[in-house]
Amino acid sequence: MLKSKPIRFLLLILVAGVLFLLGNVLPDYRVYEGATASIYVIAIASIILLTGYSGQISLGHGALMAIGGYAAVLSRKYWHTSGVISLIIAVLAAALFGVILGYAAARLRGPYLAGTTLALAVGLPSLANQFHFLGGEQGLNFDIGAPPKFLGSNFSTTKWYFWICSIAALIIFWLVQNLLHSRYGRQWKAMRSAPVSAALAGINIARSKVLAFIISSGVAGLAGALLVMTLNLVTPSEFPLSLSFAIVTGAVLAGIARLPGAVVGALIIVAIPDLADQIATKIGGAERISANLPGFITSLLLILTILFAPNGAKIGKLVSHGSTRT
Amino acid sequence: MFAKRSSKFAVLATASVAVAALTLGALPAQAFNPRSEAGVTATTIKLGITTPLTGSAAPGYSKVPAAMQAYFNYVNDNGGVYGRKIQLTVKDDGYIPTTAVANAKSMSNGVLAYVANLGTANNNAIAKSPVVGLAANRIPSIFINTGYSGFADRTKFPTMYPIFPSYIMEAKIMGQYIKENFAGKKLGLIYQDDDFGSDALAGFKTAGVKFDVAIPYASGSQSAAAGAGWVGKLKAAGAEVVVMFGVTSATGAALGASAVLGYKAQWILGSVGGDATTLKALGVPAAVLTGSIGASFLPGTTDTKDEYIKQFQDVNAKYNAGASFDNNVLVAMNSAMLTVEALRAAGKNLTRDSLMAAIEKKGATFASAAFSPILYSPTSHVGYSGYWFGKYDPSGAMLPDGGTYSLYTTDSGAGAVVKATIKRPAMPAKGLPNNS
Repeated sequence: MLKSKPIRFLLLILVAGVLFLLGNVLPDYRVYEGATASIYVIAIASIILLTGYSGQISLGHGALMAIGGYAAVLSRKYWHTSGVISLIIAVLAAALFGVILGYAAARLRGPYLAGTTLALAVGLPSLANQFHFLGGEQGLNFDIGAPPKFLGSNFSTTKWYFWICSIAALIIFWLVQNLLHSRYGRQWKAMRSAPVSAALAGINIARSKVLAFIISSGVAGLAGALLVMTLNLVTPSEFPLSLSFAIVTGAVLAGIARLPGAVVGALIIVAIPDLADQIATKIGGAERISANLPGFITSLLLILTILFAPNGAKIGKLVSHGSTRT
Repeated sequence: MFAKRSSKFAVLATASVAVAALTLGALPAQAFNPRSEAGVTATTIKLGITTPLTGSAAPGYSKVPAAMQAYFNYVNDNGGVYGRKIQLTVKDDGYIPTTAVANAKSMSNGVLAYVANLGTANNNAIAKSPVVGLAANRIPSIFINTGYSGFADRTKFPTMYPIFPSYIMEAKIMGQYIKENFAGKKLGLIYQDDDFGSDALAGFKTAGVKFDVAIPYASGSQSAAAGAGWVGKLKAAGAEVVVMFGVTSATGAALGASAVLGYKAQWILGSVGGDATTLKALGVPAAVLTGSIGASFLPGTTDTKDEYIKQFQDVNAKYNAGASFDNNVLVAMNSAMLTVEALRAAGKNLTRDSLMAAIEKKGATFASAAFSPILYSPTSHVGYSGYWFGKYDPSGAMLPDGGTYSLYTTDSGAGAVVKATIKRPAMPAKGLPNNS
């Protein structure tokens, strides 16, 4: 393990370097998509940790992202926190909510847990409309400021957001990767595969479940805060039910029990609308076709994945490591 | 084992980067125009729209882009704008601000302007997004599909040009109509709990109308079950006249529930949610809609005596693949006509700045189907300012009260509501703008 850690770290630096180069050569819009993909990587990682490793289903991570988003905005608005501190507060606020949710989750299983979290995704974001200090449907502004001057006057805001999001994604990737290889990761896998045996082996199942929910919620909260940052605005409609589904879809597409799959899942989710646009343009379809094509492609991929590669697409398997047995 | 794990991790990292690079590289290159002006070539003018084509807000509004493109195709077939053909890039945002911003960003370098972007929250998100840079990059967002009064603030939204009368104006005018026609009746209100609704509340307050029961709903929460809840509250309060100030899907939910629950009241539908074709498609029985009162700034969609309606119906039949001609199509074609006039007014050397300058200098003279005057000027981004009221007949057509259009105009402030004389510019020959 000690031997592998420095190598992993070097590889992360290498990936960061490549992302830095991509940020400089790609058109502005692709860089923006890169920032979005990085946010999805973080959100999907939170699902992989929770569902793929600890075996708990959540269809409500969009709500946890909303908590993170609102926490970051409110802390900056009322306490004038810096961008970094706002992001940390987002993680803590969502994690705190994860404590409550985790305790409820520890008493629920399967479809009951899915239903509870689904209700959260439906109801929680619209609460913002009930409280004036949350800004209602028009939302609240969230401006972390212009890029630092030393980066040069030509350094665009888009690139600045891409840097923040991709660095955050790399850090989360590194931390979650190490966590999953730690005692806790092994406990979660044991708990997921054989809960009775795990309990007999001395693992406190309830505590492990709650811990997984707390960490997963915190990670989702960070994704929410970054999403809000790229928009400069937090509103309830940024966290629709479809966001929660998109995250779970991304996780399933690339292998729910493989953390590296988060990268593939995020890229697929971000690329599909563009791909649909190209197909619709080529076949000369009306906007009715291009509008429904992303949903169709996603559904098709989901069905094919579950039919032929329930542990994730081949690419996920190629790049995965560790046990993938579910 | 650890070494094996590390090597696998190496494969993972490399493959991830490769996938990222390949995917990003394989995606189409942005239609990036290094020239000073985006979206304009010697032969084409590219415009962009982000609007809900899917999702809860899509019913009705999803017809807007196709209707606009139909009118543009009609103009293109008749010489275009100074020889340039108009192309409309359409993006679906599902009524989600995040997607609207991504759409706007994807089009920002490839289009001259956004046209008819829909929704208060989405337009707000686009305007405030630094990655889009609407104001900073001087990207015009013209004839937006929302009546939120805030967008007419030139200092906050210098490149946005709302066209609809504001929701404050609509509520003030509706308030005046209620006072004139339903004094002493028990009043109910259903409104969307966001800036759309807060504009309405402000307008009714200015008009001096107090509701016995006011029911807010969160955007996206509209459903048959929610509609039943609203009607239950209205029934309990004994409301005799109910104003429905919401989107079409919410209006459909309210009217549908009133049919199921046998609730009879005089409904007054706001212009946003009052399209009869869409309401019927949502399952609202004609019997409930018949006799309801609606507000509009455009002529009735079945008024074929009106030259604009006749022309737009003709364009719709020939260029819009059999789409039924409803209020969404009418609004879209009217905005498309205004767009062509704005492009012509900007001259042959078309730029983003010349387009905005043309709207400010000449916008008030643009011919359009609306009965209300247009109030654009170098110091005003306010579009239309008036409404007329009518009743829905059994076919769903909205006919003016008393047979003739009676226009009320006002402003978004404390100004009075006045009955105005309709002075509409004549339609250009064949509905093809010839202004300069």
